[in-house]
Amino acid sequence: MLKLRNVATNFGNSVIIRGVSLEIKKGDFVSLLGSNGAGKTTLFRTIAGILKPCQGTVEFKGRQTNRMSADKIVKLGLSLCPEGRHLFPQLSVHKNLMMGAYIRRRDHKGIKRSIGQVQELFPILKERKEQMAGTLSGGEQQMLAIARALMSDPELLLLDEPSIGLAPLIVKNIADKVKAINEMGTTIFLSEQNANMALKITGRGYVLESGSIIMEGPSNQLITDDVVRKAYLGA
Amino acid sequence: MELFLQQVFNGIMLGSTYAMVALGLTLVFGILHVPNFAHGNLYMLGAYVTFFLISLYQFGFWAAVISSMVILGVVGMLVERFVYRPLIGQPHINMFISAIGLLILLENSVAVVWGTSAKRIPHPYPDTVHLLGITTTQQRLIVIVAAVIMIILLQLFIKKTIHGTTIEAVAQDREGAQLVGINVNWVSSMTFAISSAFAAAAASLMAPIFMITPTMGALLVMKAFVIIILGGLGSMQGAILGGYILGLVESLGGGFISAAYKDVFAFGALVLILAIKPTGLFGKESN
Ligand SMILES: Nc1ncnc2c1ncn2[C@@H]1O[C@H](COP(=O)(O)OP(=O)(O)OP(=O)(O)O)[C@@H](O)[C@H]1O
Ligand SMILES: [Mg+2]
Repeated sequence: MLKLRNVATNFGNSVIIRGVSLEIKKGDFVSLLGSNGAGKTTLFRTIAGILKPCQGTVEFKGRQTNRMSADKIVKLGLSLCPEGRHLFPQLSVHKNLMMGAYIRRRDHKGIKRSIGQVQELFPILKERKEQMAGTLSGGEQQMLAIARALMSDPELLLLDEPSIGLAPLIVKNIADKVKAINEMGTTIFLSEQNANMALKITGRGYVLESGSIIMEGPSNQLITDDVVRKAYLGA
Repeated sequence: MELFLQQVFNGIMLGSTYAMVALGLTLVFGILHVPNFAHGNLYMLGAYVTFFLISLYQFGFWAAVISSMVILGVVGMLVERFVYRPLIGQPHINMFISAIGLLILLENSVAVVWGTSAKRIPHPYPDTVHLLGITTTQQRLIVIVAAVIMIILLQLFIKKTIHGTTIEAVAQDREGAQLVGINVNWVSSMTFAISSAFAAAAASLMAPIFMITPTMGALLVMKAFVIIILGGLGSMQGAILGGYILGLVESLGGGFISAAYKDVFAFGALVLILAIKPTGLFGKESN
């Protein structure tokens, strides 16, 4: 479904992503582990078309997307729930969800169904329907960001550190929900510093360090790997 | 009392056009985060287009106003595409310089092509009307009604339709807008078209009442900036309310204290309001 070949991304003169290759198949639930500044966000923004790679190719559903604009990539069925959430703070929760469904704005029935689904997943969003997104708590904002990313009915969902800055109980809740989203059929690529959480729910993982993939494998093997345990699990 | 009502009426009329011009300016500011100094010149160009459609091509008044809005809408899109879009991602000072360059270009082109002497559009509705004890012309009444209708329609478009809401979405979070699949360039283009068409409408409605000159936009754009700062940068309610406040302050100050100093009252109101509320009437606390 998603294939990166030797992708590199720069900021000015500094190379942030150095020749990353990876592949994600339909239905997969894959994690991207890496510490602060490893380049997870930069890699995700490159895949989503916000940044353009200076080398290599990105292929989504058999089509080369590395030169496409971000809005076209969304239309192909790839949705990024970004770091920092990027919600519309002065729009209501409901309007944020409606904007999430912008690419299928004429599909009124489908939108209604999706709203029902995300409200079932995160009941708080139903309660807070008319509240401005900017006035939600951090955890609620993260739920809204995930819900908004789901509203385009994506085939591949990229989640950039959904656990960041949240209390352990909320992290657990979000992890469960993300797992449920994958079980309902959405392919998920999850970036996390919280390797413990990510490796428990995903099937496979990549480890990113200084812009390169240094390791990959099934999550249950990574979780016992010495290098991973030292670097990311504090063991 | 009668004089007072007369001045209030004139203030509302002025305020209606100020509100339209300020709304356009604030929409573009929200999208670009850079002030479009040339906005007043687009207003001026709108008045000239209407003038020539009426005097050279015998257009009816409303046909000319609507055509002028369409033409300026297209001009606005071209300005966005060729003056501002190439500078996105560069230091803000570049857009400032371009805006001022565009301002000078428009003002002088009009002066060269059509001359610097003031022109007046023949009054389409010269009849007087008596209303609540005041006497005014139909044209002045039309300015108010048309402006209110257009302002309401724009609000409905932005608040109630998905295409209109994309303008708010891009203004509030550009990257978030891209990530839900909004074509940000298209939204910028649309916003410029609306903004310029509103300026053209305001200018055309006022053209039979005041003279039109190539420099008519210069002071107006200053006032429009006063309004959007007074109303809170990027706030649409602020621009509307600010427009009417400024119109009233000018008209009442000009009528009762001194006509020569009416612009002083406008800028004085800005100083006063910002002293009390530094973020403007509807301004968000900076984050
Ligand atoms: N806009 C930018 N301009 C310059 N450098 C940047 C920019 N964004 C990111 N970087 C640099 O790129 C590197 C990778 O950053 P990135 O945000 O991708 O890391 P990350 O793995 O997502 O980290 P975190 O876990 O803290 O979110 C960092 O060294 C960062 O300083
Ligand atoms: Mg990051």
